[in-house]
Amino acid sequence: MMPGDNDAQERAEIDASCRGPVLLFFASAVFWLLAGTLFGLVSSLKLHNPYFLLKLPFTDIYLGALNFGRVRPAHLNAVAYGWASVVGLGVCIWLMARLCRVRLRYPGVVCAAGVLWNVGVLSGIISILLGHGTSVEWMEFPSYVTFILFVSYAMISVWAVDMFVHRKPGHVYVSQWYLMAALFWFPWLYGTANILINITPVQGAVEGIVNWWFGHNALGLWFTPIGIASAYYFIPKVIGRPVHSYYLSAFGFWSLALFYSWNGGHHLIGGPIPAWVITASVVASIMMIIPVVVTAINHHMTLRGHFEMLKYSPTLRFVVFGAMSYTLASLQGSSMAIRSVNKITHFTHYTIGHSHLGLYAFYTMIMFGAMYYIVPRLTGSEWRSSVLIKIHFWACAYGIITMVVVLSIGGLIQGFMLNDPKIPFYPNIINATKPYLIGRSVSGIMLTVGHLAFAYHFLLMLVGMGRDSGGPTLFNQPQEENS
Amino acid sequence: MWIYYTAIVGSIILMGGSALYAIYWAAKGGQFANMENGARVIFDAGEPVGKVTDLFPGLDLEKERARKEAKKKRKI
Repeated sequence: MMPGDNDAQERAEIDASCRGPVLLFFASAVFWLLAGTLFGLVSSLKLHNPYFLLKLPFTDIYLGALNFGRVRPAHLNAVAYGWASVVGLGVCIWLMARLCRVRLRYPGVVCAAGVLWNVGVLSGIISILLGHGTSVEWMEFPSYVTFILFVSYAMISVWAVDMFVHRKPGHVYVSQWYLMAALFWFPWLYGTANILINITPVQGAVEGIVNWWFGHNALGLWFTPIGIASAYYFIPKVIGRPVHSYYLSAFGFWSLALFYSWNGGHHLIGGPIPAWVITASVVASIMMIIPVVVTAINHHMTLRGHFEMLKYSPTLRFVVFGAMSYTLASLQGSSMAIRSVNKITHFTHYTIGHSHLGLYAFYTMIMFGAMYYIVPRLTGSEWRSSVLIKIHFWACAYGIITMVVVLSIGGLIQGFMLNDPKIPFYPNIINATKPYLIGRSVSGIMLTVGHLAFAYHFLLMLVGMGRDSGGPTLFNQPQEENS
Repeated sequence: MWIYYTAIVGSIILMGGSALYAIYWAAKGGQFANMENGARVIFDAGEPVGKVTDLFPGLDLEKERARKEAKKKRKI
């Protein structure tokens, strides 16, 4: 027996124990990615062509379910609770098992939670399309759906505690800190926000505060920790080099925990709420520069001398793109919280560009990278085609860069024009922003191409049509690095 | 209604308290001691430091590097 064979055996057993539950989460996540993309594309086209899908083609039947007011929240909720949350949970489950170094416990509970979550999201999307959405952004699902999601999530949180308690003794890696925190923060946020918005609704401006406390923290305390946890695991693991400074990674975690939860108030700059609430939020938003810069330096220094690996590893390519976007999105977010900047960017397409830079260029790209690493280890076969991976990467990379650039430029123009009372909204501002909205639809088509390539490739893996793993690739036959 | 508000205030205290307890637990359990070794826990004898664990399907890293090196020499 060679040294390390026991470790390889242990890893293979842990991966095998995750197979069913994690693939269930990944498969449903890919379904929601496609559904969310479709809703997003329809919303985008409707913004510059309002008659698109107004009626069923060749008939006089109005398609009320595809009104912009319904299809846009359907897009947000399908990508946030369908794609992003479900893929994040799948990655969480696999990482927890790997980092605890124990086989997945209670796979039945995990699968039941997965099914329940998907039932909740499906009911929620149908409710929104039927016109039963709540109109509270990020919380459009009706209250009966939020209850289903809460129960499902609570099951995963309790499972995570059980895994943590039964982990093998030793150091708790930084990714696990982020994951455990995210698994606790989200049900707390979701439960509290739903009590205050749906069950015993708070009145007046306080509803806005609760709404954006939840909305921003869903990004900052749920998606962001999973994205960073994945980057802290996959970048060192792929290149075979420990994190540059482990001190900085711990510092980044605790500073994020301290500052992020205060950020939501910056969405209400100029709103009718106490000024100190906004000021505290602006300060916390600027303080976010600390954990962001710390994480950026750490990832950059870890990767230094290994940048050529970006050519050779699909996981690294996606994860590093995501990690760089995290830095950009966060610094941009801090700048947008400054009152004088916010005065221009608020209520414009610039904000939409920023949110896609965060949830797509950062989070989604890292999740794609994580899936490229995890799926072959679950199915026991390699990805079928390098070409499909490259189409996926370049279509998504160019697509999201295009989207962020056109929305930022269009948003700034829109913001400056809106601030000038002499300029009429119609036709001047409408006509000025229209070319950028068309540009956004083009970028959406590019993203759709990438997603279709990825979904097809994933389906091949799922039905056992992946490459035979006996070849020269590395997931089961690692090679020595020269350096 | 007071049940919900009690639950919310209780959860705030619980979340804050658990964060403080987490720091206490980590410090007491030696999680902050010898941190640079902590960075190595994701590696083991089977996948040690220095081993690449992900490549495009079918790619041979050694051959690829040799090809790149040869190309560089030809340019010189």
